[in-house]
Amino acid sequence: MSIATGRATAPLAAGTTRKRAGILSRIIAHRTDYLYVLPALIVMLVVIAFPIYYTIELSFFRTPPNLQMRDKIWTGLSNYSTVLNSSVFHEVTIQTIIWTIASTVFAFLLGLGAALALHREFAGRGLLRALLLIPYVISAVAASYVWKWLYHSDFGVIGAISVALGITDEPINFLDNRQTVLASLIVVNIWKEFSFAMVMLMAGLQTVPDQLHRAAQVDGANTWDRFWHVTVPHLKGVSMVTILLLMVANFNSFIIPFVMTGGGPADASHIWITHIYQLAFGRQQWGVASAYAVILFIVMMTFGYFYVKALTRGDETRAGD
Amino acid sequence: MTNSQGRTMRSGSPGRRLLLGYAMAALTTASLMSSTVYAQSVDLSQWSPEYIRSIAGTETFDTAGHCASVVPLDYTGRLTYWWTGPTEASPRIEHEINDAFWAAWAETYPNIETDAQNIDYNQLLDRLRTTLLGNAGPMAIRLQILGGVEFASKGYFQELKPEDIGYPTADFWPGAMKSVTWDGAVYGVPTNNETMALIWNADIFERAGLDPESPPATWDDVVTYSKKIHDELGISGYGLVARQNAGNTPFRFMPQLWAFGGGALDEAEATPAYAESYLDNEGAVAALQAAYDMYVRDKSVPTSALTNTQNENQAPFIAGQLAMMIAHPSEYAKMVDLAGLATGADKEIADTVVENMRYGLIPEGPARRAVVFGGSNMHFINPEYVEGGFDEMAAKAFACFWNSPEWSTKLAWTGSNPGNLAGFKTEWMKERLDSIKFLDVTTSMLPSGIPFPVIPEATEIMNIIVPDMLQNALTERMTVEEAAADAAAKVESLLGGGL
Repeated sequence: MSIATGRATAPLAAGTTRKRAGILSRIIAHRTDYLYVLPALIVMLVVIAFPIYYTIELSFFRTPPNLQMRDKIWTGLSNYSTVLNSSVFHEVTIQTIIWTIASTVFAFLLGLGAALALHREFAGRGLLRALLLIPYVISAVAASYVWKWLYHSDFGVIGAISVALGITDEPINFLDNRQTVLASLIVVNIWKEFSFAMVMLMAGLQTVPDQLHRAAQVDGANTWDRFWHVTVPHLKGVSMVTILLLMVANFNSFIIPFVMTGGGPADASHIWITHIYQLAFGRQQWGVASAYAVILFIVMMTFGYFYVKALTRGDETRAGD
Repeated sequence: MTNSQGRTMRSGSPGRRLLLGYAMAALTTASLMSSTVYAQSVDLSQWSPEYIRSIAGTETFDTAGHCASVVPLDYTGRLTYWWTGPTEASPRIEHEINDAFWAAWAETYPNIETDAQNIDYNQLLDRLRTTLLGNAGPMAIRLQILGGVEFASKGYFQELKPEDIGYPTADFWPGAMKSVTWDGAVYGVPTNNETMALIWNADIFERAGLDPESPPATWDDVVTYSKKIHDELGISGYGLVARQNAGNTPFRFMPQLWAFGGGALDEAEATPAYAESYLDNEGAVAALQAAYDMYVRDKSVPTSALTNTQNENQAPFIAGQLAMMIAHPSEYAKMVDLAGLATGADKEIADTVVENMRYGLIPEGPARRAVVFGGSNMHFINPEYVEGGFDEMAAKAFACFWNSPEWSTKLAWTGSNPGNLAGFKTEWMKERLDSIKFLDVTTSMLPSGIPFPVIPEATEIMNIIVPDMLQNALTERMTVEEAAADAAAKVESLLGGGL
C-alpha cells in the first residue's frame, strides 16, 4: 500500500512490478510457513473449492430426470433466467429478506437487552445466564419439533392457553395459515438465536472501561446518556460482527422452516435454502438449484466481504498508524 | 444402521463338481418350467378376504431346493446389497425375522460372501444417486416402488424379470410388474406389495349418530360423515394429510382423485401412455373440491392438515379426537402400543379407541374404488456402476432366496404382502392372517391398487406437484379450478422438459 500511494507520480507499471516482486520475495522468505499450511490448503481445495466449481458448472446445464449427470445438457444462462423470471423466486426472495432482517434485528435487540441486564451484579445472575443460553445450545431439530407442538393448530399448548384465558375462541392457527406462518417461524428463530447475540454483547460490555461511566456520571450524565454516549460506541465493533454473523446464519437457515413446515403452507415459509433443497433433492432439478445456489453464494460473499472488512478495520488503522 | 453379513470368499474357478451342479440346475429348471412356470399360483379374479383366507396354508415350499435350481447351493461368490430394513422403531418381530433371514441365507449359500447394508428410507435414494456417480453402487438393491424408474431410465439397472430367478411373471401382481417396466423392458422383481384401508372409530360414529359398523361407502359419504362428526362432537372427522414435499400426502389423496376419475396422468387407465395430465379434468377438480369442502367449508378435518403427515394423525386418533384415517394394517399395532403407554384417564380413552378401531375398504367414487399400489422392488445394477464388479450368480441366488414364497411372505410380515403371489398359499400367510388384525381387509384392497406413473418424473409429480395443488386450494391461494389447472400445467411443463 505504501509503495503505490507514497509516490503519486511514479509510473503505475513500475509500482505494480515492484509490488509483485515484493509479494514473491515474501512468499519465498516464508516458504516454510506455506508448507505448514499446505495440507490444510489442499483439503480446503478439495472440500470447498471443488464443490463451488462444480456447482457453478452445473448451473449452466439442464439435468432431466431420465439422463445421467454425465449426459447433462448445456443450456448457457437459461437456468439463471428461469430462476430470475420465476414468480416463486420473487416470493421466496421477499420471504428470505423478511426472515433474515426480522430475525437478525429482533435477536440482536433481545440479546442486547439480556446482555445489559446480565451485566449488572444481582443474585442468581449465573443461573439466569445459564438458563438464557439453553435455546442456543439445544439441538435445532429438537427445538423445532417442540415448537411445532407448542404451535400445533389443533392441540398446541399456546392455542389451548389462549382459549382457556378467553383470549381467542379457538386455537390460533400459527403454522397452517399463509399469513401467520412466517412470523411464527421467525419467533422461533429469534428465540433460538438471541442467546448468541447476548453472549457476544456480554463480551463486548466487558471492554467498556468503568472509569468512563464514572466520569460521565460525575459530569451529570443520566443512565440513558451514559448508555448512548459511552456504552454504545464501545459496542459498535462487536455489534457489527454480531449482526453480520446473524445475517449470514439467518440467510443460511434451514432446519427450523424445513422441520416445522417443509416450506408450506403453499410455499409461504420457503426461504432460499429450503427452496434450493426442494429443487435439488425433491425435484432433481440440479441445474436450476445450482443457479439458485450460485446467486446465494454471490450474496453471501458480499456479506463475507463486509464481515472481513469489519473485522480488519482496526488492524488497517493500526497498520496505517 | 448397518447390518453387515460378512463371510470369507473362497477363491478358485468352478471345478467339475460345480459344472455338474450347473448341469443339474439346468435340468431341474427345465423340469420346473414345464410344470409350474406361466401357471398362476392364485386366482386374482376371486380376490376377497374369504378367498385369501381359503388359500392360506394350502401349500408348502422348499426355498433352498427351488433356488438350487437357479444357482447351485455350493456356488462361491460375492454379493453387495442395499435395502431399507427394520429400524429401531420397528416391531420386535421384524428384527427377529430379519435375523432369521440372514441366518437362513448364510446357511443356504454358505460360500457367497455378503455385504448387506440396511439404509434409512429417506437416505437410500440420495445415497444410491451419489454412489452411482462414482461407479460405487451395490450389485442388488431394493427400492420403494416409486424409486426405480428414475434409475432404469438413466441406464443404471439391468433388465431383470422374475423368470431370471426361477419364478413366473404371472405370480406377481400386474400392477407391481407395471412398476418395474420402463420402455417395454422389465427391470426388477416386486418384493412386496402394500395397500392401505380406511380406519374408523366405531365409538365416535355411534356418538355422532352414525352406524358404528358401517364405514363411508363413497368419498361423498366421507365428506358428509366428517361434517356430521365435527358438528355433533366438535372433533375432527377425517384425518386429511396435505403436507408439502411429503410422500404421505399422495398416498392418501390419490385414491380420492382416482375414485373421482382424475389422475396425475392416465395411470389409472388399463394401458397408460403417461402423456397427458389429468390433474385438471372434471374428476380431479371434484376430488379437490371435496378436500376443500372438508378443510375450508366444513372445517371438519384437522386444521393442522397442511403441516401433518400420517404420524401426526396417530396422537389425535388414540386420544379419541379423530374419527377416520387411511393407513396400513400396522396402524392397529401402533395404536395398541400407544394405548399401552397411556396412563390414568388417558389409558381408558386409548383402550376404548383400540377396542372400537375398525378397518374397511377405501371408499368408492363415481369412477372406481382405488388405492395406491405401494411396495418395493429388487433391482440389479449394471456391472459398470458396481463397486468391485457384478457377480451375476450370487445376485440371482440372493434374489431367488429373498423373493421365494417363504421369505417374500415373512419379510413383509407386519406392513405389507408378499410380492410373490405364491406366498399367499403358505403356512406363514395363514399365521399372519391369524395374528395380524385387519390384514385381510388391507390385503383385499390389492386388486384396486393403482401404481403411481412409471416415469422418471413421478417422484416430483407425486411429492411436490400434487401436495402443492392441495395446499394452493386449501389455503385459498388459488381457487380449486385454478389450483388444478396450475398443477396440470406444471406436469405438462415437466414432461416437456421445463421446470
